[in-house]
Amino acid sequence: MATETQEGFKTDEMIINMGPQHPSTHGVLRLILTLDGEVVRHAEAVVGHLHRAQEWQGQNRTWFQYQALIDRVDYLSGMFTSWAMARAAEHIDGCEVPERAEYLRVLVSEMNRISSHLLWLGTYLIDLGALYGFPFYPFVEREKLLALFEEVAGQRMMYNYIRIGGVIRDPKADWFKRLEAFTKEFPKRVDEYEAIVTENPIFLNRTKGIGILTKQVATDWGVTGPSLRASGIPLDLRRTKPYSVYPKLKFDVITYDKDGDTWDRYMARIIEMRQSNEIIKQVLDMLPQGEILSKKQNAGLRIKAGEGFAAVESPRGVLGCYIISNGSDKAVRFKWRNPSFSNLAVLAPLLHGSPIADIMAIFGSIDVIIPDVDR
Amino acid sequence: MTNIAEIFKIFRLMLIWLFIIFSIVWAVCWLVGIALPAILTTDNPITNVIYSTFGHSAGSENTLRMIAEVCRALTPITAVMVFIPINAMFMVLIERRALALFTLRMGPNRVGPDGYLQTAADAVKLLLKEDITPTGADAFMFTLAPIIFFAPSIFGALPLLAAATHNHSLFTIMNLPTGIFYVLAASSVPVVGIVMGGWASNNKYSLMGGLRSAAQAISYEIPLVLSIVTICLLAGTLDVVKIAEQQSGGILNWNVFGGGALTGISKIIQASFTGGDAGAIFNNYYPEGGWSIMMAGVLTACTIILFGIYLTGACAEINRIPFDLPEAESELVSGYNTEYSGIKFAIFFLAEFTNLFIVGTIATVIFLGGGDNPIPLWLLDKLGFTALNAPAAAMFAPLIDGLHFIDPTTFWAAIWVIFKTYFLIVLFAILVRGTLPRFRIDQLMAFGWKQLIPLSLTLFLLVVFARGAIHFHV
Repeated sequence: MATETQEGFKTDEMIINMGPQHPSTHGVLRLILTLDGEVVRHAEAVVGHLHRAQEWQGQNRTWFQYQALIDRVDYLSGMFTSWAMARAAEHIDGCEVPERAEYLRVLVSEMNRISSHLLWLGTYLIDLGALYGFPFYPFVEREKLLALFEEVAGQRMMYNYIRIGGVIRDPKADWFKRLEAFTKEFPKRVDEYEAIVTENPIFLNRTKGIGILTKQVATDWGVTGPSLRASGIPLDLRRTKPYSVYPKLKFDVITYDKDGDTWDRYMARIIEMRQSNEIIKQVLDMLPQGEILSKKQNAGLRIKAGEGFAAVESPRGVLGCYIISNGSDKAVRFKWRNPSFSNLAVLAPLLHGSPIADIMAIFGSIDVIIPDVDR
Repeated sequence: MTNIAEIFKIFRLMLIWLFIIFSIVWAVCWLVGIALPAILTTDNPITNVIYSTFGHSAGSENTLRMIAEVCRALTPITAVMVFIPINAMFMVLIERRALALFTLRMGPNRVGPDGYLQTAADAVKLLLKEDITPTGADAFMFTLAPIIFFAPSIFGALPLLAAATHNHSLFTIMNLPTGIFYVLAASSVPVVGIVMGGWASNNKYSLMGGLRSAAQAISYEIPLVLSIVTICLLAGTLDVVKIAEQQSGGILNWNVFGGGALTGISKIIQASFTGGDAGAIFNNYYPEGGWSIMMAGVLTACTIILFGIYLTGACAEINRIPFDLPEAESELVSGYNTEYSGIKFAIFFLAEFTNLFIVGTIATVIFLGGGDNPIPLWLLDKLGFTALNAPAAAMFAPLIDGLHFIDPTTFWAAIWVIFKTYFLIVLFAILVRGTLPRFRIDQLMAFGWKQLIPLSLTLFLLVVFARGAIHFHV
């Protein structure tokens, strides 16, 4: 606390408690800010307001029960949490996943990536103060995806679709047709978003040159996902540690090696949405016929004894799941490696020295989901 | 994704509400300003009852005459007081419906017929809410802040009333020789209320909102005032009624197009249609030929840019997006009014929308011709509207001559002012709100001081030098 006294005029730093009840801390994040006027001198993120003991719950519920619960960890991209757990369990169990199921997993996951990024786009603009206008446009496309998810998984957000040993339901022919129509329409919609947002002078003013995440800082703090790739480091598990059928698909790792500022992170996600759309198109062409589930789904679902780790590239970064199983119907130990937790850690160094209005621009750009931080 | 049905509904809503606002305010003004004084000063059953009770003498007659005069003098303030709440209610509703249209949502459409009573229900809810003064707040200042914020929107609007009603005899009393100066002075008072509310709330977010507001208002008042001063320079007066009257005679006379520099062109067009000496008019208005025409072009460009500067400054002055930093929701929760609830919040809310209406009215009176019909009268005559005029006048003769309920010039002036103001608000303010992100405070300051103020000063100098080449308002 620096206190200066100049001719009787006392200035002081102000400590302000942003959150957990605040319109734009995306749930219940709490930031303790030390402000000098409007400039942040020190920021500290206090996490844990949404702690639900997800790992403990995994150890006290059967595999079958926990499968349904795990979508809630990252509620915007539930497919990925299911997928990470399914892959870890399959690795321990050694069960084969049918090829059609692998393709369907890629399909729904990329759809989920698009829907997650669309929601991010809307809320990010709300963070920047475009409060009533643009944010609802991405939701129109997201709604179409959610309708497709609802048809195939029964729910709009908590899917429980990817199961240990495959996927639970095979979509109908009509579903694929609707998805194909969506993939044709979607690039035009992204063009529209870009026309409104990307070159908007106020948006550029608000995002260019702030929250610069250098390669060194990003690797030091374990940042992953689009935020890392926007800083120019080509880490994308789909390519660097390929899993499922990704090696058969054509796509490049997006690196946006420019400044690593918030605008670059915005751009990385926009490009990623287009890329995911292309992947969906490829999968729709390559989809083989056959079985979709190799393991019986009932309350007595058991995984052989052993331990295993699996990670997937979620919309927020590397999502890892580590399991120890003793062969019973419950796991002995669960450990999640959540991308939001590591990405949030970098917030404090990014905020240092930025004005209070940039807090939300920077915080929004690293795309954190609070339940994913707190588990 | 054009929603024709919703657009139609919004227009229907506008027409119905404008009719309601207009008729209520009109009826109240007539009642207070004309009917009541007329009853009190003539011989009729009501006065007879009064005389029989209190005794008929010169003294009691004088008392009644005095009451009648007070009624007449109170008409403008009554008009404003009746107008503000109804108008704010309507504007909130239209804004919500229009924003819903822009953002692919459904607006409020459940309470009453097609949602018309939604804001009334909201107002009742706010009035019934508990009025909380936070712990540690300065209770007196906390209560005073919304009043100081709201009061200028009542007394600041009064000179505009004279301009909007074509200087009707009831409202002439409000017409000051330095009217626009008074309006601008009044419009800079609310910032005191914001700073006061922000400080008295004992909340750090409120404090920051209040301080931001002070910085913002100081920076943006300068380009705002410079743009209006430049127009006053062209008009040669600070009197809002005169400024409005000078612009009469069609869209080319409006200040937004050269501040009268195009009047000559408008006259020449008229002459070419109705017969007249175009050459003489040209020489009269543009004494220096080609140079004058060039300067007319420069002036037109200047005034159009000045209009843009005015709108920008006005948006900043009344804290609209993209300049809504004092209440930036994603940063400061709700800025200066974070701690306000119930009736105090309602007053802040009411004042905000009234201020929006007032800056819209200032723009209409100063730039968009006030109560002037955009189509010149000679054109209307040519199209045969004069023929319709006589039967209409005959039809409304009892209202006009007998009851003095309608004064046609006032009626049309008021209709046009309201129409133009709402056009500005709906098309400009709401559309901007529905599109743009928010500035950052330092960018806002830089934009104001480094771009808007030099630009408006440059335009001021240009106008000073260019106006010599043209004869204005001859």
